[in-house]
Amino acid sequence: MPYFKQSVSVEALRAENVAKTYHSHGAPVVEALKGVSLKLSRGERIALLGRNGAGKTTFLRISSTLLLPSSGSLEVFGNDVVAHPEKVRPLIAVVPQEGKPFFHLTPRDQVYAYLRARGIDRATAKERAAEALGQMGLDEVADMMTITLSGGQKQRVMVATVIATKAPLLFLDEPTIGMDPFARREVWESMRKLTREGSTILLTTHYLDEAESLSQRLYVIEGGRVLVEGTAASIKQQVGGTLKVSVTDGEKLREQLSTFGEIVSDGGTVNLITGPDRINEIMALAVNAGLAATVGPVTLEEAFLKLVGRSIDEDEG
Amino acid sequence: MAAGIRLAGMKSFMATETMVQMHEWLAVLTGSMVQAALLVFVWVWAPGLLAYALVGALSYSVFLVGQRVLNEAAYIRVDHKLNELYHASPMSPESYFLGMSTGILLAYLPPVAFLAILLEILHPLGIVAALTLIASLLAVWAFSSALGYGVSTRFRDMKTIWPYSSLLTNLFGIVPPVFYPLFYFESSLRPLALLIPTSSSVALIEKAAGMVSLSPGEVVLGAGSLAAEALLLLAAGIYWARRTAREG
Ligand SMILES: Nc1ncnc2c1ncn2[C@@H]1O[C@H](COP(=O)(O)OP(=O)(O)OP(=O)(O)O)[C@@H](O)[C@H]1O
Ligand SMILES: [Mg+2]
Repeated sequence: MPYFKQSVSVEALRAENVAKTYHSHGAPVVEALKGVSLKLSRGERIALLGRNGAGKTTFLRISSTLLLPSSGSLEVFGNDVVAHPEKVRPLIAVVPQEGKPFFHLTPRDQVYAYLRARGIDRATAKERAAEALGQMGLDEVADMMTITLSGGQKQRVMVATVIATKAPLLFLDEPTIGMDPFARREVWESMRKLTREGSTILLTTHYLDEAESLSQRLYVIEGGRVLVEGTAASIKQQVGGTLKVSVTDGEKLREQLSTFGEIVSDGGTVNLITGPDRINEIMALAVNAGLAATVGPVTLEEAFLKLVGRSIDEDEG
Repeated sequence: MAAGIRLAGMKSFMATETMVQMHEWLAVLTGSMVQAALLVFVWVWAPGLLAYALVGALSYSVFLVGQRVLNEAAYIRVDHKLNELYHASPMSPESYFLGMSTGILLAYLPPVAFLAILLEILHPLGIVAALTLIASLLAVWAFSSALGYGVSTRFRDMKTIWPYSSLLTNLFGIVPPVFYPLFYFESSLRPLALLIPTSSSVALIEKAAGMVSLSPGEVVLGAGSLAAEALLLLAAGIYWARRTAREG
């Protein structure tokens, strides 16, 4: 892979001010991306998070040469994505959102055929197909017609097809959708393995535990812009604390609790996001009021809800 | 327009498509139903015209192969998004289009070969007629596949595609003199029939087999337009494949 070797110093992906406006026939004009900038270093695993319609798929499709941006610039290992897609394509592989394998091939044939079409020799393709299918836990169904597989198994075939390429840069759009918790962990493990071997991964997911466990950095996209960027820990910091105190039926303490941090209600439970310093005071307050309270870490999901929610409020306000 | 064609990956993708189609062997069979039914009608009502109907069935079958390309290209793009896997890869867009077209052709070849054997039994072809048959049918395939691929790229869901595919099949396969000989066609419209790839292929094959007579001018018109249309559409197909590998 000549491009790969030539450019040891450049980023795997560099996007600057990428914007995209859709002008679909007979539909309103949609500004899906309004200037997204992002950098992926070689060997990184990065997740894009964001609500439905935030622009994640649009960004992935532009980066993977499948969609033209309206403006902005992108480079994959130093190659211009817009001007020279033919230089970028050998370096990437894509799991499209809601993609499906060929129904009338076996998973083994599907992976093998795809690797062959990418110019990989027979012996290597055979070996890699077996390896990828094994990693995705598909050994037992590898020689059955794909149409007879379950939904999650079909999705595993898509992921197996793409990870078997070992392409330098992989784009995975909701790769674990519909997978059981075991299968998801198999995907995470193979992603880690791929990046150890030098590949770079950009994925999207709505499972925030997955994003936290799998990716080294996150970008939260909201309304076509990058809302926040950083590690899961740093993003959690931005919501004003790393701990969450949950007080069951705590409505009557809401006002007092709010002096310690930010309140998020969830049914009758009042959740307080705070730091470790004043935990004792807060617990005492709850106990004295005769209420049950528990302390736990703030999850990425809570941070996400808080940050994106704040941004929606600001837009509306 | 189609300069610098890169065929990386084409052979592998062709094999993939042939494999996929052969698993749907029922579709290969049902793809021959209209031809079989028309052959039976002709056999019952006008057995003397059976050889003509066979030539027509051959051209129609090959035209249908191109319409399978329309359906397959649309289906694996709209329902499976497999085009994204192949376009975001070292395989060139033209390999995707040509690999799919040739792969489907290979899968649909057995019924075509069967019809050709029937024709050979009923009306033995000389070497010139046999070569004319092969060349004309290849031109129809190229025309129809490229047209099918081009049309497939214009739709976002399968339901809107079906009527177009059936419109094209009837327009090119049933209305012009394909299943019936040119001399039954309104004579003032004969040049038009020679401009339509399906009916011109039939006229040229039947002329080479001594089944119809065409003036030298008509031969030039038929052969010239068939070759030009096939090459033009093939070039356009490659152009469409490249352009649509990335959406605008
Ligand atoms: N082909 C298209 N034509 C017109 N608008 C589109 C098209 N594709 C996406 N959009 C619009 O662009 C915006 C971003 O869509 P996109 O698919 O990128 O979102 P997403 O973040 O991937 O969402 P999800 O989490 O639901 O997958 C949405 O408002 C969507 O309606
Ligand atoms: Mg999406």
